[in-house]
Amino acid sequence: MAAATTPGTLGRTLRGAGLDRVLPYLMLGPAIFLVLGVVVYPLIEGLRSSTGFFRFGRMVRSVGLDNYRQAFADPAFGEALLTTARFVFLAVTIETVLGLGLALLLAREGRFVRRIRATLILPMIVTPVVVGIVFRLIYASDVGMLASVAHLFGLNSPQILSNGDSAFWGLVILDVWEWTPLLFLILLAGIQSLPVEPFEAARVDGAGAWRTFVDHTLPLLRPTILVAVTLRAIEALTTFDQVYVLTRGGPGTSTQLISIYGYQTFFQFQQVGYAAAMLFIVALVVILASGFAVGLMRSRGR
Amino acid sequence: MSEDDVLSRHFTRRDVLRLGVAIGGVAATSAVLAACGAGGSSAVPTLGPTAAGATPGATKAGGKLVIGAFEDGALAPFKSTILPMFQDATGTTVEFLTEPYDSFFAKAFQDGQSKAGQYDIYIMDDPWIPQYAAAGILEDLGQHGITMDADYPGPFADLGFWPPRQGPRVKGFESGDPKLIALPTIGDLQTLTYRNDVFTSGAPATWDDLVSQGKAGVTAGKVKYGFVFRGVKGNPIVTSFYPVFRSFGADFFDDQWNVTFNSDKGKAAADFFVGPLKAIAPPGVAEFDSDQEGAAILGGDAAAIIQYSGNAIKSDDPAQSKVIGKLDFGVVPKREAAIAQIGIFIHGVSASAPNKDNAIAFMNWFATNEVQTALARAGDLPVKTPAFTDSQAVTDHRLLPVALAQLNAGAQARPRTPDWSKVESIIGTELNVALAAGSGGAAAMDRAATQVKDYLTQQGYF
Repeated sequence: MAAATTPGTLGRTLRGAGLDRVLPYLMLGPAIFLVLGVVVYPLIEGLRSSTGFFRFGRMVRSVGLDNYRQAFADPAFGEALLTTARFVFLAVTIETVLGLGLALLLAREGRFVRRIRATLILPMIVTPVVVGIVFRLIYASDVGMLASVAHLFGLNSPQILSNGDSAFWGLVILDVWEWTPLLFLILLAGIQSLPVEPFEAARVDGAGAWRTFVDHTLPLLRPTILVAVTLRAIEALTTFDQVYVLTRGGPGTSTQLISIYGYQTFFQFQQVGYAAAMLFIVALVVILASGFAVGLMRSRGR
Repeated sequence: MSEDDVLSRHFTRRDVLRLGVAIGGVAATSAVLAACGAGGSSAVPTLGPTAAGATPGATKAGGKLVIGAFEDGALAPFKSTILPMFQDATGTTVEFLTEPYDSFFAKAFQDGQSKAGQYDIYIMDDPWIPQYAAAGILEDLGQHGITMDADYPGPFADLGFWPPRQGPRVKGFESGDPKLIALPTIGDLQTLTYRNDVFTSGAPATWDDLVSQGKAGVTAGKVKYGFVFRGVKGNPIVTSFYPVFRSFGADFFDDQWNVTFNSDKGKAAADFFVGPLKAIAPPGVAEFDSDQEGAAILGGDAAAIIQYSGNAIKSDDPAQSKVIGKLDFGVVPKREAAIAQIGIFIHGVSASAPNKDNAIAFMNWFATNEVQTALARAGDLPVKTPAFTDSQAVTDHRLLPVALAQLNAGAQARPRTPDWSKVESIIGTELNVALAAGSGGAAAMDRAATQVKDYLTQQGYF
């Protein structure tokens, strides 16, 4: 009968076979394979696709960096990038200002504050497609809510979605409505975790509310604001459903974000290689912007 | 062992490995069982047998058939009448899976390319055929003895073949005999829906008649708009523009894929579309899609619209229309001709279909005149001429003779190239800008022509 194996004997056995050095790697193996399969392989395959010319759903030849060159020469891609940058900048800026204002207003516990907080986060939990449909019903020039209000006052229906500028601002307002609550929540958590001593000292020194906000609240809250803005900006770059439902990128190309252009290029036009190249360029821009934001955060933290 | 004992017990690596092996074993067994269908239950609802009458050409095959389709109201009679008939006749269990239009296009294409075998039959929109056929993911139906008989109207019949039987061919398919790779199954095409109290002497024969009588209807206070159409960029606006454009005698390409849509006729059509037609349409028509277009005619605001049959049949539904009895159907107005767009449903068998025999059996069965007549009686447009003239179907569905008249007057499919969606996107974007501005149709066609030419050159057309 074989002797029962104890942890001590197992260790000796493994050492004897030279396996004790390998065992940690074996234990890590599944996780490494998972990361390779789910993250690394798609990235490599995406990069490979971005160097190919596809026809009828198949790569027919390698074109090196031609797809990247084409992207830089494609006015539609440049325009979509600019529209996206403008959209992200405007939406995130407004959301941050509003979110911070609301967070400051509702940071103190009060009688109805909890209910107001709960109500404020409702837009964030509505499905983006539904938000798009709701805003289409608000903006529609024939049966929309704004048109009905205008008629009540004897005015003409506002043509929000059939005019480039107003459609763009309509989209920004939709995004602000939907995502200000996220900024509000993050900044509220940040405000509530601030140390109380600096504020007490400021009060003793006779500082007013504005001075306290500028000299204490804002500097102490800066890391939180940077995290919130970075997260929201990355999220805003991928806005798709709302635009697709609301305008499909129109009128013309006035609301054609890079997500819409990328989707069309890949799925509708089946230009797989070109779409992959475009999206890698966008990913690179996002990584650089995020790196910049994190660097800024660290330098301020020191 | 108490709960505390369990919680305080230290797990050894051996325990972890044992647990891992056990979980892995269970997972692997489940996966194998699921793959073999041992689970026996499907999350997808299947259609139960019905008491439908005897159906032709069917033999008791049994087994299963998975049909995938995009969501569309015109498929309702197909689902409620035709599929149960087939199940009854053959004992085959049919799974009918639907997805939104764009989503199904991509999903089915991916299914075919990866040979995943999720579907046996794809129900496609006819412009998908070049993309699907060129990728080689559709079965050659001719090899299974399926033929296109003479009862299919010419414009429908052509759509089942790849490479095309006539017209220009894309690079790589210049030679070679056309093969039957899909069967037209459910008809759909544009016709005019108009208010008979505005157009009192019947459907307007010409575009100028439509504009003048539509204006008169607005002036008389009978309607708010003389004509309503889809103006959203991309496919919607090009679909609405198509009958105007083709009726003006213009075409998109010549036989060598040279761009011709910015010809004098094409430009005249575009100027007419963004000018006189927009003038009698809602001011915000550049944002209108089919829901707003439909609401305008069914709600009594529009004097006329051009729409596909799946929407046109709502005109007689009291639950949807406020103007029951005031809406009639007609052939689209003409300038040089009266040409409408075809957008039929077309069935293809996946080359990787797991139930290929059942799929072929279904195709053979659905193509019979008897089943096509049943389809017409159920409220869908058929694809075979005898079914269009079935007396019971015509009595029940007054759109049928109008659709046949439109087919005879002129009905054309979109250009047969896998790059049509890009071309449509370019034209649709430029035309949408001109429509919003209310002028500049001709310039929009020129801008679009330059972009399309560049794109086709890049894709190796020239």
